[in-house]
Parts: sequence; structure tokens; C-alpha cells
Amino acid sequence: MMISKKDFIKINNWLWEIPKSFREDMKVPVRIYISEKMLQETEDEALIQLVNTTTMPGMVKYAIGMPDIHSGYGPPIGGVGAMKYPEGVISPGFVGYDENCGCRVLLSDYSEKEVKPYLNELATEIQKEVPSGLGKGRKVQLSIGQINKILEGGVPKLVEQGYGEKEDIENCEENGKMPDADTSCVSERAKNRGRDQVGTLGSGNHFIEIQKVDEIFDERVAKIFGLFKDQVVVMIHTGSRGLGHQNCTDYLRIVIPVYPKYGIKLPDKELACVPFDSSEGQRFFRAMSAACNYAWSNRHMITHYTRKAWKYVLGERADLKLLYDVAHNIAKIEEHEVGGQKMKLIVHRKGATRAFPPGHPEIPEKYKEVGQPVLIPGSMGTASYICVGTEQSKEAWYTVNHGAGRTMSRHAAMRAIRGEEVVRRLKEKGILIKCRSMRGIAEEAPLAYKNVDEVVEVVHKAGLSKKVAKLVPLAVIKGE
Amino acid sequence: MEKYKILEHISDLKIRAFGKNKKELFLNVMIGMFEGAKYEKEEEEIKREIKVSSKDLSSLLVDFLSEILYFCETNREVYHNIKFKKMTDKNIEGILIGKKLKRMGVQIKGVTYHDLDISQRKDGIWQATILFDI
Repeated sequence: MMISKKDFIKINNWLWEIPKSFREDMKVPVRIYISEKMLQETEDEALIQLVNTTTMPGMVKYAIGMPDIHSGYGPPIGGVGAMKYPEGVISPGFVGYDENCGCRVLLSDYSEKEVKPYLNELATEIQKEVPSGLGKGRKVQLSIGQINKILEGGVPKLVEQGYGEKEDIENCEENGKMPDADTSCVSERAKNRGRDQVGTLGSGNHFIEIQKVDEIFDERVAKIFGLFKDQVVVMIHTGSRGLGHQNCTDYLRIVIPVYPKYGIKLPDKELACVPFDSSEGQRFFRAMSAACNYAWSNRHMITHYTRKAWKYVLGERADLKLLYDVAHNIAKIEEHEVGGQKMKLIVHRKGATRAFPPGHPEIPEKYKEVGQPVLIPGSMGTASYICVGTEQSKEAWYTVNHGAGRTMSRHAAMRAIRGEEVVRRLKEKGILIKCRSMRGIAEEAPLAYKNVDEVVEVVHKAGLSKKVAKLVPLAVIKGE
Repeated sequence: MEKYKILEHISDLKIRAFGKNKKELFLNVMIGMFEGAKYEKEEEEIKREIKVSSKDLSSLLVDFLSEILYFCETNREVYHNIKFKKMTDKNIEGILIGKKLKRMGVQIKGVTYHDLDISQRKDGIWQATILFDI
């Protein structure tokens, strides 16, 4: 089935609706935060996938699309769905295979001018400290017992063991630990895959970037966030690695055969879901929570190794402070207002980020006055943004997009440009790139992605979040 | 007959594989998966036993490939052949033949059921279409 412009109702310049009448099996309408131009450029497949998600039982109000929406499997990337608690459904495919893939930003005290002479050495040292090669783990294998501690204890456990500092807990979504994590719900296979991957980057679009603050849009908020013009910062983007992939695979295998017994009918098996309060739903939530703790621990340990490299090159006093860490593939229990009433919801965000407003109880004290820092990474070599959560995004369950979003397949990107050419263009812009081979570079070329500046403009104008600062890359560290 | 071809997909790896029979089809999906994601191997040959049971043929294909990815990641190996001991619509037993993994183009995160299709064409050829999350 195709979707055309006449199927959309324009709510305002930045918000479009596909009404329930579009397809018989829709339980709620679809709403997409996007500009008219970008909506026209969006693939039908992604829109149909979002329509498909409205058939999931217990969805409240709308299935929501973010401006970086593109097709995935089951729900699209850039899709959000909140279900009634506790009888609504939870879905492994609405979280994705990379559970708690996410992003964090570390702040240095230095300006670009001070760091420039050491940039190459810094990038080399970080690359050495953080294994980024595909499938490559660390030399040390953790025991299953140690993995269990990470799965249950998350970032606070690692801080207790002497890695990092107290602020690393406070400035992490969920304080780096989902309390419902239960290691007995995670398979031995998943744990095995995680044994040598704590503190590793992985492949694809995962990266570490050394960036500088290029432009500040909101001085007051920037000051509270600790940002200043020309400041050097580090952005880390990765997730739960093999452990999370295996966990999602395991639970799809459990959920797919059983969902029909709950009377659930779905147009795509990857939407497979079960009632949150069912035994399978509970086990998945506990296992996913554990995998999320693993992902936060992974980003935390990458931070530890990055700090080590930073101090090695710039001296013991050089420090990197965690601004914030957010997940963009996750399902969580959150309290939201629906029809004037506060209620708990099971919020799925797949390629979408939480963005809480000022005063929200779940954000750190120091950000409470202005709102949660929102991190939006661009594609390789393009700008990234730091925004701040707003009250206006209430209708979107306080959610914002997770990046730029692809417009071109990896295959098409490889046909369109060679890896060497991508590197040459980045070098021309003065961006240093560290990768062990040219493989995979073309696939992540900027031309394969939406323009992040346009995407963030929609976010800002739609009021999903407000722009605080624009970051541009100085050095990119990638996998092979 | 070609073993497989890569189909267009915006963010993931989608392939269509072919086989004279189900055994050859499963082998060619595996080859397509590794070659599509550019997994490169060393010289030395490795054998590993595989045993998978599922409720139907399409789940068997997903579970079979997921099992192979598990072996691939935990042992750092890549496989190019299978000696089938048993193959029904619900069970596979056999020996995977592979080599040590040197490097990958892109890591496969998961084998999805999205648009999954496995069927026998009128000309007798078996065909499978499958999407991998990468």
C-alpha cells in the first residue's frame, strides 16, 4: 500500500497526522513531527511501518514519528509508542537489536586552539585504548560473575569499583542503572558475548568524535550545561554490543510463537509483542533492563579509557566531565499526563531520545531549572547538536529524534562514493579521521544521511527541544 | 544459478538467496550473509557442530543464522560450508566448515523476520528473502 500527501492532515507546519481511517486495523492515528519538504522525501516504507505499529494493543493516543524517521524492521527507526501500563504491550522489536544504543558527551576545559597541536596524538591514543575494530573485544575476558554484576549494578557498581566519579552516575539517564534488571532473565549466550566487549565501540555508525563547540544559540542554558564557544568536547556513540543483540534475538524467539495466544494480531512478526504484565513481558523487561545497564557500563568504560588517553597526552590535570548520557533504543516505564490525568506508560523509543522538560523529577538537580540536555549526533563528519528538553514536547512523551537519519542505503552509498573520497573530503574540511581500513567508510558518508541542520531545525521549530549549541568534528575515531 | 543477490534497503542488509533444495538454500543464505557484510577470513580451516530446532521452516532459517552469528562472534570464525547430517523443516544438524575471522565490513546485529520469505518457485528453485539488522 502506498501513502500519498492526501492521506495526511496538516496539524501545523511541523506536525502531520495519518488518521485512523487510513487503514482498518489502525487502533490509533499516526503523528509525525517533520517539515513538508522532509515528509515528501520520506520513504513510504517507513510511513507504513509506523502505521503498522498502531495495531499494537494498548497504544495511547498516537504512534509518533520523529523527523529523522527511516525504515527499519517492524517499527521504523525514529518511532515512538507509549502503551497503557501494565496491560499494554512491550515489544523487543520496538526497542531494536542494539538495546540502549545511545550517546554521551564529555566536556573538556580546553579550547580548540589549546588542543589542536595534540589532536593527532589524542585521536591515536583513544583509538589504541578503545578497541573499535569490528567484532574485536578487549584482551581481558570478564567472568560470568563479573558480567552479572554489571548487568545488575550498571554504572554505580563500576564507580564503586573505582572507575569514574560520582557525577558519572548523576549525569546518566536512569543514573546508569535500571532497577528492574534481572540477570536470571538473560541467557548464558548473551552473557558470553558480553565477556570481552565492555569498553568497546563496535562497528557501523558507532564512533568517538573529538568536537568543538562551533556556535552557541542559548547562552544561559549553555552556561548551566558548562559549554563555551570553541570548547573541545568528546562524543561517544555505541550500545550494548553482542550481549544486547543476542538478548533481542533470544526474546523474539520467545515472543513470536506466544503472542497469538494473547489474542494479538500483527501485520509484521518483528512487531511481536506481549502484555507487559504477562510472564514473557516481565522477563523481557527485566532482561532488556539488564542489557541497558550493560550498554551504560560500556559507554562508562569507554569514558574511562578515553580519560586515560586524555591524561596521557595532556597531563594528569586534564579532565573530561560527563555532560549527559541518553539512550535511543529503549522501553521504559514513565509517568505522563494523559487527558489531564497523570498515568504510568510503557514508552518505547526506537531511534528516539528522551528529552525531559525543566523541573522534571528524573533529571539531575543542576539541570532542573533549564531542562534535560539532549544530544543529537550528526552523521560522520557533519555537525552534532546539544539541545534542551521543553514542556512543549509533552505531546510526544517528551521525546526527540536520535540523529540525522539515513536517506540512502549502504549499498547505494558505496556505489555513489568511494571511502577514499569520503576521507579526502573530510580532510579538506580539516577533520582528522582514524579508521583501520576504508571498508565501511563510504557507507557512512554524509551524503547517505539527511541534513542534520535541517532535522534539528524541525526539532527546534516544532518545540520538541530547543537548540543550545552546535558541535563540529575535529577528529573521528571509527571501527574498521 | 547465482547463490544470492543483495537487495536495496536503506539502513540494513537485505538479500535474496537461491538453492536447488533447502540444504543448498540454507547454505547460500549463510554465504550471502557473511559476504554481504564482508566478513574476511584467515587460511586455517575450522569445523564446528551445529544443531537447531524450530517450530517451522522460516523460524528455522532465522534461528539457524542466529546460531551461526553466535558462533561467529564468540569464536571469531566465519563459515563457508555445511555438511548436513539432518535437515527437516524443523531441525538441522550438521558440521559448519569455516576459517578464523580476520575482519568484517559491518557487524550483523540481528537476523530479522521483517519481510522474511522462504518458498519454492514454479521452476523448483528454493528462494529466501531476508533482512539483517546492521
